[in-house]
Amino acid sequence: MGLLEPTREAFALLLRGDAELLRIIWLSLWLSLAAIALISPPSIALGVLLAKRRFPGQRAMVVLVQALLSFPTVVIGLVIYLLLSRRGPLGTLELLFTPSAIVIGYMAIAFPILVVFTVSAVQGADARVYETARSLGASRAGAALTVLREVRFGIIAAVVNAFGRVISEVGCAIMVGGNIAGLTRNMPTAIALETSKGDFAQGIALGMVLMAVALGINIVMALLQGEGGLK
Amino acid sequence: MSEILFEASGLARQLGGRRVIDGLSLRLERGQGYVMLGDNGSGKTTLLRILAGLEAADAGVLRFQGEQTLLPRYPDAWRWRAVYVHQHPYLFNTSVTGNIAYGLKVRGERGEQWKRKVEEAIDWAGVREVIAVPPQKLSGGERQRVAMARAKVLSPQLLLLDEPTANLDADGRHRTIELLARLCAEGVTVLTACHDREIIELPEVRRFHLEGGKLAPLA
Repeated sequence: MGLLEPTREAFALLLRGDAELLRIIWLSLWLSLAAIALISPPSIALGVLLAKRRFPGQRAMVVLVQALLSFPTVVIGLVIYLLLSRRGPLGTLELLFTPSAIVIGYMAIAFPILVVFTVSAVQGADARVYETARSLGASRAGAALTVLREVRFGIIAAVVNAFGRVISEVGCAIMVGGNIAGLTRNMPTAIALETSKGDFAQGIALGMVLMAVALGINIVMALLQGEGGLK
Repeated sequence: MSEILFEASGLARQLGGRRVIDGLSLRLERGQGYVMLGDNGSGKTTLLRILAGLEAADAGVLRFQGEQTLLPRYPDAWRWRAVYVHQHPYLFNTSVTGNIAYGLKVRGERGEQWKRKVEEAIDWAGVREVIAVPPQKLSGGERQRVAMARAKVLSPQLLLLDEPTANLDADGRHRTIELLARLCAEGVTVLTACHDREIIELPEVRRFHLEGGKLAPLA
């Protein structure tokens, strides 16, 4: 089977604004943005804490969060599935196979990315930033915020990276979301489903949108690196 | 006799098995300029950082306007009175004005008075011509003057300067010394660690020598 015809159909779907396609794109963007918005503040705060404070178990925590980075997302999906399943500890919340479950999964995937990037950015900050802020009268929290402001390009890079990771995530989304049409079907899960059905047009169309998002993310990153003096 | 602003006694700090500060005592009078000399590695920076609460001491007592603290505890309120300027000052990645205004914002100052103070500090340090230049692109001398303006704008009771003319070109050095002399003449209590002969010979200052972890006055 040639690729030309399904690609032509994919462009047609995109150009005429196919309702099903738009719904899937919208759901993907919305769930990814919601997850990143919810998990970023606590993850960044934890990253700052792990980078700036010394306490028992701090090194072990950093190693653990770094290890989470390499966990297969399908395993993360499995853990969340077990937690949210009817017999699981959070079963009474009845979140399994809902958009909320996908958001929780995305948050779990984004968490280590955000923490590790933040630790790296804050540890890489010049020690004089914190000291200067403190000496000019800032409180500990105020000085930590000043450090964050100084490494803002690194922090934004963390957020953009985490967003790029979750919007293209498939394993966890299928496990906890169930790939239900109109409810939890997002771009990656729809691509997997349509391809398995032999309907390549929608898969290619969604693939193009995902690639456009990836390209956009890379452009944003490149711009940030320029802004941050990393040219 | 002049009023004692700041006192330290029994200061001790060990670094890498060496007693850098060893039972040191210090007494600073209000409105007086001081210069601290000493060889490289004699502990000048360590002492300034302890006095600014940026580095813990192993032992010692500090008194600021009669209020006493037992180190390593350093009251946060003192950070609004004593300001330390690094040998190579860090300027925040904002504007020159943003840097000078930082401490005032921390203190919750806003409005016309805030603007006036920042403008005065800009003129005082002679940095108006570089006000639109990104701080990271300023020369060493300009950075030092912005950092001094950033400290001066807060009207600190004690200003701690660490080698303010180190690695500056002739012009930067000359203008920095000029600012330091003006600070002393304006009655700001300044303690400067330096090797610069021109600073050491400023008529308004008193001189200390740091050796063997202790301070000794110099004639």
